[in-house]
Amino acid sequence: MADLVKNHDYHMVEPSPWPFVMSVAVFILAVGGIFWMHQWTPWVFFIGLVGVLYTMYAWWSDVIKEANGGDHTPVVQMHHRYGMLLFITSEIMVFFGFFWAYFDGFFRLDDVEQYARVAATGGVWPPMGVELFDPFHLPLFNTLLLLTSGTTVTWAHHALLEGDRQGLKWGLWLTVLLGAVFTCVQALEYSEAGFGFAGNMYGATFFMATGLHGFHVLVGTIFLAVCLYRAYRGDFTPERHLGFEFAAWYWHFVDVVWLFLFASIYIWGSWGVALHH
Amino acid sequence: MTDTVHLEAHATGHDAASHHHEPTGWRRWVYSTNHKDIGVMYLIFAIFTGIIGGLLSGVMRLELQEPGIQIFHGLASMVYGLGSPEAGLDAGKHMYNVFTTAHALVMVFFVVMPATMGGFANYFAPLMIGAPDTAFPRINNIAFWLLPPAFLLLMMSLFFPGGGGANELGAGTGWTIYPPLSTNGHPGPAMDFVILSLHVAGISSILGAINLITTIFNMRAPGMTLHKMPLFAWSVLVTAFLLLLALPVLAGAITMLLTDRNFGTSFFQPDEGGDPILFQHLFWFFGHPEVYIMILPGFGIISHIVSTFSRKPIFGYMAMAYAMVAIGFVGFVVWAHHMYTTGLSLDVQRYFVAATMVIAVPTGVKIFSWIATMWGGSISFKTPMLWAIGFIFLFTVGGVTGVVLANAAADRVLHDTYYVVAHFHYVLSLGAVFSIFAGWYYWYPKMFGWMYSEFLGKLHFWVMFIGVNLIFFPQHFLGLAGMPRRYIDYPDAFGLWNRVSSIGYYITFVAMIIFFYAMWDAARKKRPAGDNPWGVGATTLEWTLSSPPPFHQFTTLPQIHSTNAH
Amino acid sequence: MKFLQGFMVTGHFLRKMGAVSAAALAAAPALAAAQEQPIHFAEPGQYHLQHSVTPIMDSIVTFHDGLLMWSVSFIVALVLVLLLWIAWRYNAKRNPAPAAFTHNTLVEIIWTVLPIVVLIIIAIPSFGVLSDQLTTPDGERKYLGTNIFSFGEVEVPAAELTVKVTGQQWYWDYEYVDQGKLFTSVMLQEADREAVKPNQPRLLAVDNELVVPVDTTVRLQITSDPTGVIHAFAVPSFGVLIDAVPGRLNETWFNARETGIYYGQCRELCGKDHAFMPIAVRVVTKQEFAAFMAAFESGDYTAANATLAAVQ
Ligand code: HEA
Ligand code: HEA
Ligand code: CUA
Ligand SMILES: [Cu+2]
Repeated sequence: MADLVKNHDYHMVEPSPWPFVMSVAVFILAVGGIFWMHQWTPWVFFIGLVGVLYTMYAWWSDVIKEANGGDHTPVVQMHHRYGMLLFITSEIMVFFGFFWAYFDGFFRLDDVEQYARVAATGGVWPPMGVELFDPFHLPLFNTLLLLTSGTTVTWAHHALLEGDRQGLKWGLWLTVLLGAVFTCVQALEYSEAGFGFAGNMYGATFFMATGLHGFHVLVGTIFLAVCLYRAYRGDFTPERHLGFEFAAWYWHFVDVVWLFLFASIYIWGSWGVALHH
Repeated sequence: MTDTVHLEAHATGHDAASHHHEPTGWRRWVYSTNHKDIGVMYLIFAIFTGIIGGLLSGVMRLELQEPGIQIFHGLASMVYGLGSPEAGLDAGKHMYNVFTTAHALVMVFFVVMPATMGGFANYFAPLMIGAPDTAFPRINNIAFWLLPPAFLLLMMSLFFPGGGGANELGAGTGWTIYPPLSTNGHPGPAMDFVILSLHVAGISSILGAINLITTIFNMRAPGMTLHKMPLFAWSVLVTAFLLLLALPVLAGAITMLLTDRNFGTSFFQPDEGGDPILFQHLFWFFGHPEVYIMILPGFGIISHIVSTFSRKPIFGYMAMAYAMVAIGFVGFVVWAHHMYTTGLSLDVQRYFVAATMVIAVPTGVKIFSWIATMWGGSISFKTPMLWAIGFIFLFTVGGVTGVVLANAAADRVLHDTYYVVAHFHYVLSLGAVFSIFAGWYYWYPKMFGWMYSEFLGKLHFWVMFIGVNLIFFPQHFLGLAGMPRRYIDYPDAFGLWNRVSSIGYYITFVAMIIFFYAMWDAARKKRPAGDNPWGVGATTLEWTLSSPPPFHQFTTLPQIHSTNAH
Repeated sequence: MKFLQGFMVTGHFLRKMGAVSAAALAAAPALAAAQEQPIHFAEPGQYHLQHSVTPIMDSIVTFHDGLLMWSVSFIVALVLVLLLWIAWRYNAKRNPAPAAFTHNTLVEIIWTVLPIVVLIIIAIPSFGVLSDQLTTPDGERKYLGTNIFSFGEVEVPAAELTVKVTGQQWYWDYEYVDQGKLFTSVMLQEADREAVKPNQPRLLAVDNELVVPVDTTVRLQITSDPTGVIHAFAVPSFGVLIDAVPGRLNETWFNARETGIYYGQCRELCGKDHAFMPIAVRVVTKQEFAAFMAAFESGDYTAANATLAAVQ
């Protein structure tokens, strides 16, 4: 529709196959997930996953092309900012649900009427027999990692704003690395856990909350890595770098969620409890 | 808002459209990035799913017409190829629960939400705020296209093993999917299909909400401040926020359900430290806002119709807008009124009683303001207006029984009886659905450019009005007398009102036939509707455009000068 | 206070009317059976709450029939009358020129404040009745009974009997906790019912009723099979309803003042036979109960049940 006459700054997006293709892929993914969970075959799931990932790639490539082609006027950029903030808000509500589950165990540990829970946990939290991590070992290390990565991404941002491409790359490289190390440390910690995901409320809430967070770290790291690639390609200018900005927002969001996890699950949750070393 | 609005150069929208290339054929729909086309797809989808949801409830009413089991054991033995109806008895009992569950999930997630927040919001919110499209057209399209797969997943669940026994296909947990019935009680994959269906439908709604909020905040035409924005756009804005904040919590809850079922976790397993009541908290933290998600867009639609056909501006515009905001806020802190009998402490129950009753106040403001809008007006009782007035009355009936239920002391005898079923069908089937039909008849000429037969529209209204009242009013009696819900069979004492209720369904069925005939008739005769068939009362921007509006409207943005301070 | 009493009187009157007309509707054989062995459940065509035999249900009935019904009917009638009046007075024919007003602060205040007042009037007894329901008697506390605007005037003795109820898929287990006596209660299939208890209602008759003494406060502890699903224990005539949740012990109570059999049904969806796990509570005189329990403690439920007049 190149010949569309318009006297406004909104972006009239061309028809696109990706939404439809994505929904087909999501359907395959969902059905495949069920097949896999019921021990039929994992392959349908993977086909769906490839479909989803490929469509994401194609869709966002289009967005980047449009951005580079000048469709992202100031008002359209504003749309994207709103969109990203709202998306993060919805993510916060997902975490809210998982925190709720955690605090259900945490606060309602010894309700006498919940006799089965009391029998299973001994009326204490963390439940009897669950050995916790020492929050001031690996978790503290990871907290410092994430906090540092928050500063490195800010460094990259400032460098970008000042037109310092070298600083941008350095800041991003460091952030991506810190994110990757965080993931490794988290994996190490998981491998040493004195409790499992299955079979007990503590493990369920712990791994669900930190696991979802870990997934977000992974996504955030990939997001930043894409920005790094685009930085090398020269996509960003001091005036226009929405993609980078969103990666930074997302990273800060991941960071803040971690602080809540660290404070409430690791520190508060292990207050005065024998720890696992 | 409905004040006088002056437009500059709106006609250019019309002209420009005819010059440039529009996508054609199937690509126009499948690849669509056009909010009006996407809106129409949502509406057609809602009509299709509405037929399925309505037929499911028809089989239920057929079953409940007499004491005893009449339909499902035969149906089950047919489906499973068993020798005799008796052999299908157990499967049939399960199948009834499956129908109830599917009926509710279809109506809630695949009829009402797609029709209001998908169809009408998509089509008319951008027009009303003077925007050329929505902020994220591709996201808009995927929000729609995720629904057919989600619906398909739900329908597939009907054909996979669900319950524990042999030949128990489908999920029979009720739409509330409480564990342990949805975990230990439903080992088969049917439940996973339902859960993933809800995940996909939820993602669709969240994406739609992000798109609509951004559109309304960022794309209002020059001069259209939030406080001049039409009430329908306000209702969409508030609803989108409810979706954004409530649905992720449901997503989290059903994810935990999924891992409890498939990965051995124990969020809701009491013998491993979990808590089944935790799921109920999470579900209703979503579920209560969800019921306002279903009704608020209806509130918006009704406001415009009442004003249009009274030829009078909305009474108390600001109070109307902020009443919706208040309902949205308070709606988040009343969830446990669905859980009075779970063993909550006295103080907790007291709090939820008080908080719940508060919602009657802003809702009353809306009811009375609609009445005041009509007061002194010059009312023409066109089809949409009949639906709107019907809505106001029937929603009031459903609302006040909500206030009865809000009192935990009274809920002690009414919980999980047909009184609750009567309450929520008055606000949903006679509230939300009436507002959908009101909106459909109001905007049909705008969307398609044709006029329907006024006679058939009115006939549809009256037959349906009688039918649904006959279905659901007697259910209050059943509930008071103690008939539990989700029962395939009931003691003989409840026979009378169940029979009346089923007869009501048959009348409603006839009404739906009239509706489809009216639509067929309108599409066949193609009576031109004109840009504004409703006259001077219709003051919002969509009526300044052609019918149907140009493929891309407002290629030059309209300027809003409000001459009327409120 | 006068007009509130008015509400209650009308409430009582209406209930009586309801009972009379329902009785008229009831089939004759059911009535005959009712004389010998009062069965307490809904009458055919019933459109109101079930017959009350406990102080809690008294309060609920008074609260609902005497206050809630009137308040909400008044609101619905008000809205209906306003709509009809508008349709008559402001239709395009009668009123061709519409007014243009959009505000009236006074009426807006009125229609905000008036509902608040109505809600407060509802909330006061609502909280009182709620507290009664959730407070097991200790012998000191006074309960509201039918006078829901009082500070409590009905004396209820402290609990003397504790029964533990466990929901199963799909029947109920009962235990007399202090006596340590257990039994199971299962719905009678049609053929069995017709053979053994032909006068008891279809879908409600069970093999073994829960037997409790009249005028005695019974504490109920409710739970469900730890590996099972949620059920809910409901007896409408007692005003009792509480969920039976796996792993959780809920508590409620009742004190029935009339002998007879009282029926309830499972109130939480629990799978395919949710509709087929009724609750039957048989309230007997204290002497009968003593004999029943003595026989139970030295034998089994069947022996104990034999001490009572047979249920037909
Ligand atoms: C569109 C959907 C919708 C809407 C709008 C409402 C509105 C309300 N609902 Fe309802 N509700 C449902 C859908 C809805 N509900 C559903 C689906 C269920 C069952 C779920 C399940 O279990 O499956 C349910 C169940 C339900 C329960 C739980 C019952 C139980 O399971 O035991 C309760 C209890 O408090 C309740 C209360 C209310 C209240 C107080 C309102 C209020 O918002 C109503 C306010 C409106 C008015 C009061 C009328 C207008 C006001 C005036 C004219 C002013 C004057 C009025 C007074 C002073 C009273 N609802
Ligand atoms: C929006 C929600 C909605 C709607 C519209 C309906 C409509 C109807 N419902 Fe349903 N119902 C529920 C939501 C709804 N219901 C829920 C949540 C439950 C609880 C389930 C549970 O216990 O878990 C329930 C349960 C329920 C029961 C109780 C079952 C039980 O407890 O055992 C019964 C029994 O009679 C019943 C009957 C009906 C009937 C006869 C209709 C009729 O009104 C149907 C006739 C109406 C139509 C055919 C119109 C529909 C068509 C459209 C809306 C499309 C229009 C679209 C456009 C114009 C764009 N429903
Ligand atoms: Cu047990 Cu329902
Ligand atoms: Cu609610």
